[in-house]
Amino acid sequence: MSTLGTYTLIAAFVACAYAAAAAVAGQRRRSVRLLESGVGAFYLVTALMTLASAVIMHAFVTDDYSIRYIDQYSDSIQPLFFKITSYWGGLDGSIMFWVFLLSVFGAIAVKANRERHRELIPYVIATISTVQMFFLSIMIVYKNPFATYLIETPVDGRGLNPLLQNVYMVIHPPSLYTGLVAMTIPFAFAMAALITGALDDSWLRAVRRWTMFSWFFLSLGLTLGMIWAYEELGWGGWWGWDPVENAGALPWFPATAFLHSVMVQERRSMLRVWNISLVIIAFTLTLFATALTRTGIVQSVHAFGEDPQLAMMFGVFIAVVLIVSFGLVIYRLPLLRARNELESWASREAAFLVNNWILLFSAFFILFATMFPTLSEAVTGQRITVGPPFYNKWMIPIGLVLLLLTGIGPLLAWRKSTLSNLRYQFLWPTGLALTTAVVLYALGFRVWVSGICFALSAFVVGTLSQEFARGAVVRRGVTGSDMLTAMIGLVMRSRRRYGGYIVHLGVVLIMLGFAGAGYKQTAQVLLSPGEEVTVGRFTVRHDRLSVTDDGAKEMHTAHLTMFESGQEIGQLYPGRWYYRKHETEPTTEVAMRRSLSEDVYVVLAAYDMGDQSASFQVTVNPLVNWIWFGFAVLSLGTGIALLPESRFAFLASKAASDEAGARASGLTTTLLVIALGLTGGVSEAYAQIGVPLDSYSATSELEAELQNELVCVCGDCPHYTLAACRCSSPPRFITTSDGRQEIASAGAEYMRGQLREQVELGRDRRQILDYFIAAYGSQEPLGAPLDEGFNRLAWLFPYLVGCGFLVGIGFVAVRWSRRSTVKGVAVDGTAVAIDAELDARLDDELRNLD
Amino acid sequence: MMSSEISTDGAASSLRPWHFFTLVGLLGATVAVLAVRPSEPAAVVLLVSAAWAGSYVCFGVYRMLLPLVTRQFSDQIETIGGKALAALEREKTLVLRSIKELEFDRAMGKVSDEDFEDMGASLRLRARSILKQLDVDGSSYREVIERELAERLDRAGLEPMASEQTRRVCSGCDASNELDAKFCKSCGAEL
Repeated sequence: MSTLGTYTLIAAFVACAYAAAAAVAGQRRRSVRLLESGVGAFYLVTALMTLASAVIMHAFVTDDYSIRYIDQYSDSIQPLFFKITSYWGGLDGSIMFWVFLLSVFGAIAVKANRERHRELIPYVIATISTVQMFFLSIMIVYKNPFATYLIETPVDGRGLNPLLQNVYMVIHPPSLYTGLVAMTIPFAFAMAALITGALDDSWLRAVRRWTMFSWFFLSLGLTLGMIWAYEELGWGGWWGWDPVENAGALPWFPATAFLHSVMVQERRSMLRVWNISLVIIAFTLTLFATALTRTGIVQSVHAFGEDPQLAMMFGVFIAVVLIVSFGLVIYRLPLLRARNELESWASREAAFLVNNWILLFSAFFILFATMFPTLSEAVTGQRITVGPPFYNKWMIPIGLVLLLLTGIGPLLAWRKSTLSNLRYQFLWPTGLALTTAVVLYALGFRVWVSGICFALSAFVVGTLSQEFARGAVVRRGVTGSDMLTAMIGLVMRSRRRYGGYIVHLGVVLIMLGFAGAGYKQTAQVLLSPGEEVTVGRFTVRHDRLSVTDDGAKEMHTAHLTMFESGQEIGQLYPGRWYYRKHETEPTTEVAMRRSLSEDVYVVLAAYDMGDQSASFQVTVNPLVNWIWFGFAVLSLGTGIALLPESRFAFLASKAASDEAGARASGLTTTLLVIALGLTGGVSEAYAQIGVPLDSYSATSELEAELQNELVCVCGDCPHYTLAACRCSSPPRFITTSDGRQEIASAGAEYMRGQLREQVELGRDRRQILDYFIAAYGSQEPLGAPLDEGFNRLAWLFPYLVGCGFLVGIGFVAVRWSRRSTVKGVAVDGTAVAIDAELDARLDDELRNLD
Repeated sequence: MMSSEISTDGAASSLRPWHFFTLVGLLGATVAVLAVRPSEPAAVVLLVSAAWAGSYVCFGVYRMLLPLVTRQFSDQIETIGGKALAALEREKTLVLRSIKELEFDRAMGKVSDEDFEDMGASLRLRARSILKQLDVDGSSYREVIERELAERLDRAGLEPMASEQTRRVCSGCDASNELDAKFCKSCGAEL
């Protein structure tokens, strides 16, 4: 079986090479036969990858431990479900899964576009085949999932890491991979358009749905990751700004930017170079995300491991992609010149430009901050940490600005807005926002960031409701129907626009979910059976502890009863699970009670089976479920926008037809721009047995502040803050070259002890930070690098880049507006005499188009 | 041999290539399961899937090699002006949609009247040129062919046959009607 698998991969590689060569040669030589043969080979690759997938899954299911990959990620007692999905559990298999997905998407894209975009298809095939060849070559020469043990076959496998044995491992990687892989299709079409010079809007049309599809699955994958972190890991948050998390989020930004700026190209024939560049950037970032996860070039708990050789292979490929694609852009620059210019900053084009600027700036910022520790270590030799405190300082304002833009964009007119027009559009939304702000202030809400977020959300809701209402009124005037029919017809007729508005509504809900974190309440307490703790309006009573076993794991569970305002409302069962063969890494099972207004989140931190006492972390997370609900709304909007544009689509407004076949149902999503990890009471639980309780709670304001600024350097957690991490790894000491003793790594408990000591000695903030830097030999324990020396770059660079972008856009805009206006250019170039009959026919057709 | 089994002439009993390979897949799956006798249901499913995938691999190879060895690949739609008729129709619908969207935007106050005239003008220009192109390419194939034919016959010194009458002309208003029309569609007079 393993030989079959290996040869299948080799055959796929050969077929890819042939497909690329034959398709291009067939096109150049106008040989239909060669071209058809190339297309056939392209489909052959899909069949081969399906075969390879079936083979490896079969090997998993039949416990074929002679294959190394199976041995590493499976064992005989593993449930069938996880055996099959271990396909993508390890590095080698995940690469094969990537190629499989790409071959399937490629086949679909080619099949769907064969007739419509004939001239592009051969180069689309060539591009996709090249990418496939790269990943296949990695597998064949280096990381073959079918590699076998030469001598001894193990009797039983090692089993999948228990942290991965949950339903999210099954759905998060495929969804995320779908999003990442699908980005290759727009890239392939962009390359084909550049190579053939067919740079009119046709390639955009082929690509728009794929980009939306990819964007949606990227959002879904990231949200599932967030839910996974929230529900399973038990530290109470959903986004840790871990390098791999960031890398997965990076392509989301240019994809969003592209979905917006493509509208400017369609309406005004501007931003053409920009749009192609966005697609190239998005694709490159997907490659980068893959590379980061697999090569460990930045330290991360998510990474598969460290692998410099793989890093080299990826690095070379990414460099080649960038050079070739931007080289083509430069080559085709004359064909890509804009036909119109930016006439006013109070126009929708300008709003989209700013939107693009912010999104790209966010992506760049996250990329820079992710790579900064590696950069700093390379330049100064010192290890630093760029953790949540640093990211949140920046991303929160950015997110708020984006939210504002979401509301402003639809209100501005194309080309330029007059003052009266602005008044007409802005009155209602602004009024709503101000009213909300005043009401909140009057009610005593004082968390500024959340307050601003609520006001801006009101602004956006005002915009959206105005758009729907006014649009329905216009439509009612045209069709003479009632308001409800008009509104449905409105959505069905302009699916992209109104689907997009619904997506924006989903975004608002998600932001509100984030804003709720500002009102989080938490308590850490040691309870004996019968004792209870109150957080907010909820009371939790500890009843008893129990131990059960289901063959695969031993489960230690606490039984709790919950009360709300005195009334008993349910039971909670937080626990810790010890998997066979992984007894030293127990998993934390969080107990949650969810409702629309808040979540009650309980973690079993530590316990003593003897006297049945246990320490718990009880948190109330307001509005957190609005994040997941917001994603559901976002999926609805995406589904509507994705509905196919058939000839009879406009009939949908008259007869509410059910074209929801393309409807995408989503679970939850995230807007990665903001992780409102507001430091007012971060809830967490990463405890292990026997951790004493007093080191957790801070005794002074300075201590609490620093607990949220310093991070754990145990190496097993993704740099959680000292307030969050519950590990108790002992400190490891090393002796430096000049005889001093330094701490190489230590757990959060030890570090909290050090902090407590320093605070009790009466040291001030700067002195304490200096102490830690001296004790640990670098700035690694600091959550954000100090603003001095080389690290000043970390703080300054984003400013510089952001301003640089802004200046650049301003410069381009001014240059555009100085160029003489080009009016009424026929897009096709063939001027047709004004023919009365032709005009009449045109009006006829327009009338029939509903 | 293979080619005689597979005919694609649309006759009722024709065997398409993908039928053939699906059957091969079924056969292969049966053989595989009987030979291996897997113990678990999941293993059976995956073995069957692998066998089917294998047969589709063969289909892929067939699809790859067929164009190279046969001469019957003439799938090119005749294109005039660089685009197939269907693509032109789609293009037209898209341009018309854009015009409608522009009108909607004006009604919503998102486009000033002046800009509406401007942007609408270029869109209408494009729509008109497409309509014209569709006229030439679409309905007048026959006339183009007849013209070509007349030219060639002329060059060969032959007389073209009297062309079939395809329309009836109303004596009253000279409007063109269908062959089987009883009344003129323009003036209503009996034909």
